[in-house]
Amino acid sequence: MSALSEGWGAQVRVVKALMLRELTTRFGRENIGFLWIMAEPLLFAVLVGIMWTYLKGPEEHGVGIIAFVASGYIPLTFLRQSFSRSTSIFVVNGSLLYHRQVKVTDFILVRVLIEFIGGTMAWLFIAFALGILGYIPVPAYPGMMVAGWLLYGLVVLSVCFVLAPLSEMSEIIEKIMPVSVYIAIPISGTFTMASWAPPSARDYLLMSPMVNTMEMIRYGLFGDYVEPYYNVWNPILVSAVFMMIGLVLCRRVRRDLVVE
Amino acid sequence: MITCESLGKTYRAGHGSKRVLDNVNLSFKRGDRVGLLGRNGAGKTTLLKIIGGVIMPTSGRVVREMSCSWPLGFSGGFQGSLTGYDNARFIARIYDRDYKDLRGFVEEFTELGQQLRMPVKTYSSGMRARLAFGLSLAIEFDCYLIDEVIMVGDRNFQLKCHTEIFEKRHDRALFLATHGANYIREYCNLAVILRHGHAEVYDDIEEALAIYETL
Repeated sequence: MSALSEGWGAQVRVVKALMLRELTTRFGRENIGFLWIMAEPLLFAVLVGIMWTYLKGPEEHGVGIIAFVASGYIPLTFLRQSFSRSTSIFVVNGSLLYHRQVKVTDFILVRVLIEFIGGTMAWLFIAFALGILGYIPVPAYPGMMVAGWLLYGLVVLSVCFVLAPLSEMSEIIEKIMPVSVYIAIPISGTFTMASWAPPSARDYLLMSPMVNTMEMIRYGLFGDYVEPYYNVWNPILVSAVFMMIGLVLCRRVRRDLVVE
Repeated sequence: MITCESLGKTYRAGHGSKRVLDNVNLSFKRGDRVGLLGRNGAGKTTLLKIIGGVIMPTSGRVVREMSCSWPLGFSGGFQGSLTGYDNARFIARIYDRDYKDLRGFVEEFTELGQQLRMPVKTYSSGMRARLAFGLSLAIEFDCYLIDEVIMVGDRNFQLKCHTEIFEKRHDRALFLATHGANYIREYCNLAVILRHGHAEVYDDIEEALAIYETL
């Protein structure tokens, strides 16, 4: 039991140290870098919002278009950043593996946590900046929104646990990542809601954990203006499966990993 | 006590593979000073990295019953883009040491001064060696794994290492890969020769060095 708590303590120390290192480099020396995490979704939401306002009108299916775009784009940015930064993460951080208490899984966890913090700050920043102007409503069910966002983060984390070791096994992963994220946008719930789709297509859409969690986020934000379809167990089960596969892969890859 | 039990390591190289360590068995305890000898490519660095837990063996295992430093060598252990101080701070955090104490010791031991504010990638190998030794000595391990790097230091650094490792910490274990026969003759009580993926352990240093000469 004491060995277990000792191990846990060491792991917490490592994750903290890695987080602090990452945050100081981003906050301290590349101020603009971290600012961009917040500014980019804002810029995107406003520009696409303006474009769509002219093309389709200021509202889409009864909710404000700028709020709708922003609520989809922040999670998408988080997902894209997490995925692309998980590739080759073992080799990039290889020199840290000289310290035995640092595990390869810590790299993935810390990377996704940092992006998640960035995404959360983007939410707050946009909610504040656009909320004052009346473009973003006060969340109807904040608990639901937070739960959806946390589950979204869990799914992204579990996928990264698979992507990171796979990218070490084959370079193809890194090459096809951007295009596959792009192709997956229609089934990510980023710019659509399940209720807009015909019932036959909706069943397929709801197999995607991204769609389920986006529905939760949107329901939390817009409340009863939208008609949400979701099953909490879908993202939980999907991420449990990915996480298990990912841990097995990480273990395998670690065994053959060449550390300079 | 640190024990290597039938360690094997195979590197993948393109479509083939290279067996570097075949069946390495050895053990050493606190107070032992082990000199690791072998030709270039015999697997000295590989063995050090496996003992240090940096890379995993393909077969066999390492049992560590005392705390063991990371392999102190020309590369690894530091993040090149971070400064010496940042690296020290990071290492203090993951080894649960007080940063102020650690910094004090490192400043005094390394004598790097303002250079500690520069990214580690700008350091010469001698400067890296100073930083690596300073940090690992401040953490106080039971066993130090040293890969060649002790040789790159200047006279002043050699003297410091002599005081800090061989005098103040004479009760610790030392596992040292080097080609410096005199170094081994002066400090080691055990010699290990690596060849054909096997480790041969000698109590008699002169005998080991004589064999090493003929390799």
